Amino acid sequence: MQRYFPLVAIAAAIVLPLLTANTYFHHLLVLWMLFSLLALSLNVIIGYIGELSFGHAAFFGIGAYVAAILGMHTGLPGVVELILAAAIAGLFGLVIGYVALRIVGPQFAILTLGFGSIIYTITNYWVDVTRGPMGISNIQPLSVSGDFLALTGALGYYYVTLFFVVAFAYACYALMSSRTGRAFIATRENAPLASSLGIDVFRMKLLGFVVATAVAGIGGALYAHYLTVVTPDVMSLQYMAALIIMVIVGGRGTIAGPIIGALIYVGLLEALRAVGPLRLVIFAALLTLSVIFLPGGIVSLWKKWFGDAETGEPAREGGAS
Amino acid sequence: MLEVKDIVVRYGRREVIHELSLSVADGEVVTLIGSNGAGKTTTLKSISGLLRPVSGSIVFDGERIDTMQPHDIIARGVVQVPEGRLLFPDMSVGEHIELGGVRARSGGRTYSERVDWVHEMFPILLERRDQKAGTLSGGQQQMLAIARGLMANPRCLMLDEPSLGLAPIMVDLLADTIRSLHEAGITILLVEQRVDLALRLAHRGYVLETGRVVLEERAEVLLEDPRVKAAYLGA
Repeated sequence: MQRYFPLVAIAAAIVLPLLTANTYFHHLLVLWMLFSLLALSLNVIIGYIGELSFGHAAFFGIGAYVAAILGMHTGLPGVVELILAAAIAGLFGLVIGYVALRIVGPQFAILTLGFGSIIYTITNYWVDVTRGPMGISNIQPLSVSGDFLALTGALGYYYVTLFFVVAFAYACYALMSSRTGRAFIATRENAPLASSLGIDVFRMKLLGFVVATAVAGIGGALYAHYLTVVTPDVMSLQYMAALIIMVIVGGRGTIAGPIIGALIYVGLLEALRAVGPLRLVIFAALLTLSVIFLPGGIVSLWKKWFGDAETGEPAREGGAS
Repeated sequence: MLEVKDIVVRYGRREVIHELSLSVADGEVVTLIGSNGAGKTTTLKSISGLLRPVSGSIVFDGERIDTMQPHDIIARGVVQVPEGRLLFPDMSVGEHIELGGVRARSGGRTYSERVDWVHEMFPILLERRDQKAGTLSGGQQQMLAIARGLMANPRCLMLDEPSLGLAPIMVDLLADTIRSLHEAGITILLVEQRVDLALRLAHRGYVLETGRVVLEERAEVLLEDPRVKAAYLGA
C-alpha cells in the first residue's frame, strides 16, 4: 500500500478540482500548489542541507519579477520565461549562496535575512525597472507562444503547477535515494565527518541552494502569470515566515511534509480570514507549538501511528558525535 | 610513498605539533604510538587535510597534498578511518557503504567490486544491510567504519584507534583484518593505544611525545626497547 501512496495522491490531486465548479475553490487549489512548490524548494535548504534560510521569498520574488518584466518588454513565450526565471533566480542563488554558505547556523540565517531584505528594498525603490511599490500589473497569461495555448482559468494553472510539484517532488525523491542524497544527509547530520569522508561539503550545500532558489524562481513566474500582478510584497517578511512555517509544521526533510504544510497554511489563511491580522499571531503560535511538541512536523504523526513509513526525517539534534 | 616533513600544526595559537617528520613506504605498515595528547590524531588529520599545517610539507606519491581539500586527498587514495568510528546513527549499514564511495580514487576495483569486496571481508555487514548503524555493536561499528573507508578505494589507509572499546575477540578479528588489508597491498598508518598490538602488526613505529617524534625504529626493536616497555607496555 505504501508504494502506491504517491500514485493515489497524484490521482486524487488530478480529480480534486473536477469535483466542483466553484472558482474560488479552484483559486485556493492553485495557491496550495504554488506554495507547495515553494515549500518543497525551501525544504531542500532546511530539510536536506540543514540550514535555515530567511531569504527564500526573495528568490520567489525574483522569479515573479523576471516573468513580469520580460512579459512587459519582450513578449517571450511563457516557456522561455519560466526557464529564464529559474536561471536568473538560480544565478542570484549561486552568488548569494557562494558568499553565505561559508558560514553556518544562525549566522547563515541572519545573512540570508540580510540578502532578502536588500533584494526587497531594491525592488521597492528601483522604480524605473520594477515600478516600485505600485508593482507590475496586466501580466499576460502563461502561454506556449503568443496566444497559443494561453492559460486563462485557475484550472489550467492548477494543473501546470501540479505538474511542477509532482516533477520536483519526484526529483527530490530520486535525489535522496541516490548516492548524492546520502552525501546531502551526511552533510546535514555532521558536516566535519562528511568532509572527512571526502564529501565536498561546500559544493553540496551550494548545489542544494542553487536548485532550491531556481525552483523558487519558477514558482514566482507561475505566481506572477496567475495573479497577473506582482508587487514587492511577495518578498516581504510575511512570506518568508509563511514558507518556513509550511516546511517546519508540515515536516522538514520529507516530501509530503511541505505539501501538507502548504495545505494547512492556505486552509488556515482562508478559514481565519475573519480575524484579520490576528492570523499572523496564530501562525506564529502554530510554529512555536510545532517546534516544541512535534519537531518532525505533521508527517511524523503518520509515522507514529502507522509505523515506519516515511524516510529521510531529520535525526535528533546532534547526529553522530 | 607518504612523506611528512617538518610540519607544524596549531590549534588556534597553541602549537601542538612541532616540526614533525615521518615517512611511510609503499606496502608498509607503520604505527604511531604515544600517550594521550602526543599528537597522533592531529598528525593523521593533517595528512587527510582536515587540519592545515602552518609550515612544512606533506607529499604523497610525489605530489604535495598539504594544501589540498580533504576530498581531493581522498581522491588520491589517502583515507582516514576516524577515531571512535563516527558513524551516522540513523543511517543504515548499506547507506554508509554507499557513502564511503561518494568520492573514491579511480583505478583499481570498480564501485560494485568494492561493495562485494567489503561484504566478503565483513559478511555481517551484508546481513545487517538495512539496520541502522546506531544499533550495531561496537565491533560491528568498527567494521562498518573500515568498510566505509575501503569504499574510497584507498592506497594508504589511516586507522585511528581501531581497537578502542572493543571486546578481546573483536580485537583479534581486527588484527586479522589489518593483516589481510596489508596483504591486499594497502599501505597502513596505524594509531593505536594498544601498543603491543600495534607493534606486532607494524613493520616500523614512531614514538610521539608532546608533538615530536622521539624515537623511530623497526617494530621488533621497539617491542624490546626498555623506554617503550616502561612507558607503554607496562613491563
